[in-house]
Amino acid sequence: MPHAPDEGSRVRGASPPNAETFENQVLSLVPSLRRYSRSLAKSDSDGEDLLQDCVEKVLVRRGQWRGINLRAWAFTIMTNLYRDRHRRLIQHPSVELDDTLGLTAEDVSGDPLEKTRLQQALNALTPDYRAVLMLVVVEGYAYQDVADMLSIPIGTVMSRLSRARRQMAAHLAEDNIVTLRRPK
Amino acid sequence: MTDEHTPVTEADLHAFVDGRLDDDRRRRVELFLKDHPQEAAEVQQWQAQAKDLKAAFSSYARFGENDRTLLNSKTQPATLASFRRGAGLLAASLLLFLSGAAAGIYADRFYAGSPPVETASALESLPGQSKTAFLVYASEKRHPVEVGADEEAHLVAWLGKRLDYKLVAPDLRSQGFSLVGGRLVPVNGRAGAMLMYQDAAGQRLTVLLGKNPENGETSFRFESSGSVETFYWIDGEIGYAVTGEVTRAKLQAIAEECYRQFES
Repeated sequence: MPHAPDEGSRVRGASPPNAETFENQVLSLVPSLRRYSRSLAKSDSDGEDLLQDCVEKVLVRRGQWRGINLRAWAFTIMTNLYRDRHRRLIQHPSVELDDTLGLTAEDVSGDPLEKTRLQQALNALTPDYRAVLMLVVVEGYAYQDVADMLSIPIGTVMSRLSRARRQMAAHLAEDNIVTLRRPK
Repeated sequence: MTDEHTPVTEADLHAFVDGRLDDDRRRRVELFLKDHPQEAAEVQQWQAQAKDLKAAFSSYARFGENDRTLLNSKTQPATLASFRRGAGLLAASLLLFLSGAAAGIYADRFYAGSPPVETASALESLPGQSKTAFLVYASEKRHPVEVGADEEAHLVAWLGKRLDYKLVAPDLRSQGFSLVGGRLVPVNGRAGAMLMYQDAAGQRLTVLLGKNPENGETSFRFESSGSVETFYWIDGEIGYAVTGEVTRAKLQAIAEECYRQFES
């Protein structure tokens, strides 16, 4: 006797009748959402907070989703949350120590001081520039996609990208590095 | 008419870096860059940046152990159907939450295996801590050090033991500086060592060593603050910083001498 799946029976890991539930789609996006949130945030814990807020908002607003490109939609939501948070922080700048936290994760190869510098250069960008840079460079979106996601003209995407790149370069170019020499 | 006559715009340069040009246009940009070293240098910077950014964040694109709990939204969806589902999820979440609660909040669990959060700030503050040690102790007339150079063997054995590291006091006589002595100082909240040197004119400099929270090898960095210069670097488990009120070139020569003599 087929009947509509009882919502209650879906509780608790029992394999869902339809693997493509909205929740599962959201869940499958978590890795890329996590990467994007971390690339916007100043620290690992900020990144996780942003991720959590974003997933929550995506679930709450599921009725507004048009059924195409859930990832881009979720990225838009995250970008807006990130800008709102940043604005709040500027109005209530109590969290000043938040400069901490390196880009640790599993990337143990590179130069730790270099990673700190990269993070500082990123933290010096405005949220708008940073979001465009990350969407293009780390998330690999085409310029037009970024324009659509952020509801801005493509010319604005290009100028933000350009400024972000130049500011980063200026920050990173500060000449305070000398190569080590130790004859073995 | 041909592609060769369409000017290369800045947008083209970005699209080149981001791999968004078709073959013809890409070749056109490559030719352009051959004749325009300034733009070529900038494009190279952007490419390096892109590579670093990808490398810095790629490892975050992964599932966490408890990602399913992310779905346990605190807020309730608007429609009745989704409300009921939400309630179900909430019940599920409660179970998951209870099983996870003992181990602490989600984020803590997820990052339990990662290095401590103060990593970067600790690295960051190495030159700051070195400068402070220098300013406090180098100007001290009566007790600049705890153990003097006359007990060098004892000094290096003692500090080395506290640092759990085979410490040597670098011989800087070739640079005109001789050892005054050393003391135990906190570095990154743990036991660290400070060595002090002095030249014939009484000019002092300090060498600070501290446990490094993250293994690695870095280039030299320098930081200036007024007339005080600091060179710092990380080599394996130890972070080093050399601070003095001497010229940067002189201090670099000294830092290089220290680097040569310290065991990695």
